[in-house]
Amino acid sequence: MRLPDLSITSWVKIGLGAVALVLAIAAPYMFSSFIIGLFSLALIAGLFSQSIDLLAGYSGLVTLGHAGVSATAAYGVGYMASKAGAGYPAQLLVGFGVGMLASLIFGLMAMRSDGVYFIMVTLAQGMIVWGLSIRLFNITGAENGLTGIARPPAIDAYWKYYYFTLAVVVVCWMALGVVVKSPFGISLKGLRESETRMRMLGYNTTAQKLYVFMVSGFFATVSGILVVYLNEFISPSAVLLAASAIGVLEAILGGVGTLVGPMIGAFVIVFVQNVVSIYVDRWPTLMGLIFVVVVLFARRGIVGAVSDLWWNRIIKTPVEAGEPFQPAAVAFAGEAAVPLEQPPTPPSGGQER
Amino acid sequence: MRSWSRRLAVFSVLLLVASACSAPGGEEEETTTTTAAPATTTTAAAPGDTTATTEAPPELACDEPIRVGLLQPLTGGLAASGGDAKDGFELYWTNHPELVDAGCLEYRVEDTGGSPDTALQKVDELVQNYGADIIVGELLANVTLALADRLKDNPDVIFMSPIGSADDLTQRTPYANFTRAGGWTSSQTSHVLGQWAYDQGYRTAATMCTDYAFGWEMCGGFTQVFTEAGGTIGGDEQLWNPLGSTDLGTYVTQLSGFAPDVVFALQVGASVSDFFQNWSDFGLKGEIPLIGGEVLMDVSNIRNVPVEQVEGLISSGHWAEGLELPATQEFVDIFDGATGRLPSYYAAATWTASQYIEEAISAMGGDISDKAATLTAMKSLQLDTPFGPSVLDDYGNPIYNIYIRQVEVREDGRVWNVVIDTYENIDQFWPKSADEYLAQPVYSRDFQGNAGG
Repeated sequence: MRLPDLSITSWVKIGLGAVALVLAIAAPYMFSSFIIGLFSLALIAGLFSQSIDLLAGYSGLVTLGHAGVSATAAYGVGYMASKAGAGYPAQLLVGFGVGMLASLIFGLMAMRSDGVYFIMVTLAQGMIVWGLSIRLFNITGAENGLTGIARPPAIDAYWKYYYFTLAVVVVCWMALGVVVKSPFGISLKGLRESETRMRMLGYNTTAQKLYVFMVSGFFATVSGILVVYLNEFISPSAVLLAASAIGVLEAILGGVGTLVGPMIGAFVIVFVQNVVSIYVDRWPTLMGLIFVVVVLFARRGIVGAVSDLWWNRIIKTPVEAGEPFQPAAVAFAGEAAVPLEQPPTPPSGGQER
Repeated sequence: MRSWSRRLAVFSVLLLVASACSAPGGEEEETTTTTAAPATTTTAAAPGDTTATTEAPPELACDEPIRVGLLQPLTGGLAASGGDAKDGFELYWTNHPELVDAGCLEYRVEDTGGSPDTALQKVDELVQNYGADIIVGELLANVTLALADRLKDNPDVIFMSPIGSADDLTQRTPYANFTRAGGWTSSQTSHVLGQWAYDQGYRTAATMCTDYAFGWEMCGGFTQVFTEAGGTIGGDEQLWNPLGSTDLGTYVTQLSGFAPDVVFALQVGASVSDFFQNWSDFGLKGEIPLIGGEVLMDVSNIRNVPVEQVEGLISSGHWAEGLELPATQEFVDIFDGATGRLPSYYAAATWTASQYIEEAISAMGGDISDKAATLTAMKSLQLDTPFGPSVLDDYGNPIYNIYIRQVEVREDGRVWNVVIDTYENIDQFWPKSADEYLAQPVYSRDFQGNAGG
């Protein structure tokens, strides 16, 4: 709010947001069920990536095992639905229960490590869940996965489920926004910048890490439950290292340390994977190129690039001096400027090939 | 007060931004539908109202082509096998072009990347936008199960899975619109091998299978029939190595320690060449007879292994590229000529599935809008396929001849499987009856049907 031209920026944000909101709500009237299914998938993937970004981008704790948390929740729902034949309250209760239990256990395991060691610990956690999912035949159906999961009848239709997903994701997004703006969220940035200094200041950084892992785990749990009802299926491939890594990649692609970045990254990846791959056989190459371009020319992801453009070229306020090492400031400044600039780029680029 | 209004502003901005994120997808979609339009307008179908167009053709079959969608992993770790499946499928239609040329049939191949998420999205696209009448499904068991579950409530689509072999798809949880024409169940081929091993005079065996559903089913089929015939397999002489492990030395030395009459093994993917390497490095080749589950010695695996490591090894399978039948050798020649590779069972499977599709269409007089009747017609077909004579049982699984195969070096130096013994008309329950078989649970690590316990 210290920026003098706040009004212009926020008006642009609000305008963009309003257009986008109208588009999001109108989408089911405009697009086929296939595309709406992809919207739902991308929204869920974005929420999952946001939960990773809360750890990786805001707290400096990169995790490579977060799919373990979301898949545990999904398996909880799946088990209750397909093996135990329980009703929806029980499915959700067990889904949330095991998801949060997994985050608690994982958080306790990981809270004393940082940096590379944190990556290693979380990687191992993800692999443990994968190993269990493939071995506990009676619970998880092993490699075959769990079928026979159904959405609640009230939101069964694809477009109803899309609206439901949209609502849940928006609420979660707002909640995440509150978290990162809260004193606790600010202290996470301290944790990222220097854990020793935070400890010197009197923070119990170990407890901080457990809390943030639990909070992040909650949103991962929500995404896991959303996706299991979307696919009505869960199998060990949801716990593969690749599943966790893609969440991290989405955040990097969109812009770490922001909430809008992971969502944009998720949309790009989901659409390259599912739509561009219909027209381009070598879509993994295309995806690789996108990553290379982003890493070379937009170090802070799509959000970072667009916010640079906005501030340096359009507003002409030289703020770049402080930005490279202040992702938080970027998050704040760039949050809404992005959707306008960003959306048209990937699709037009992808489809011309 | 200020902080409240600020927070409210943040809320609303976040809310708006939240929805903003779906805008990318929105605009992206807009552009893709325009590109999708040409693809579908080749058949004059408006994208979107597929239901109207698929139900259209009552008397003139070729008003509207029958659409077939093939889903296979064409990228990722399974790309080679998925590519074989795609080639087999496409080669069938280029060599039997009548329906395609007449505009009565068209197909589309989609890449799943081996992921259920992607496969589920792609199958929605094929069914809803492309208007597919028939989906030919995936290679991996979990993806196949996910697809079968997604399609089960759709009476306008037939789902065929010629490769995905999870037992229960045609056993304990069959789906009404599902058939495995051109396919197999995992344990179907290893049942036969259990009997064959016993008939050879082997009385003790050890097994080593990959520790996942497919390995359990392959090993279970062998174990149950072998032990019920009178053979013995010690409970701790069944080894399970993790999926994807590439250092099997410790397992192989354990096997030699058991000193069994015969070893049954099943490996997949990267573990295959490591297994053969260790088996021959520890001097076990020629020492202990080794028999393999079908995939271990599928030509897609053994063509990458030094000849001396695999020559003479025995396995059982529904596919044998060295089978001396006209239908088989015609297919082998076509595939070899087009790709320079001997066809794996993946290729034979999608070829045969295509054959079933073509024959079912002609049996229905070109109109397959009644999917249930089409499936019934398909189940009453008796075909000469590259696998040999094939009929479908009531569950939609083929009844085939199962071959005992031996790896032989061809004149051109390549290896393939030739038939040394044939068990005729083997269904998925053999040697039990369906009721008796279905009363027992599906094979798992805990249930191998070991009669000796």
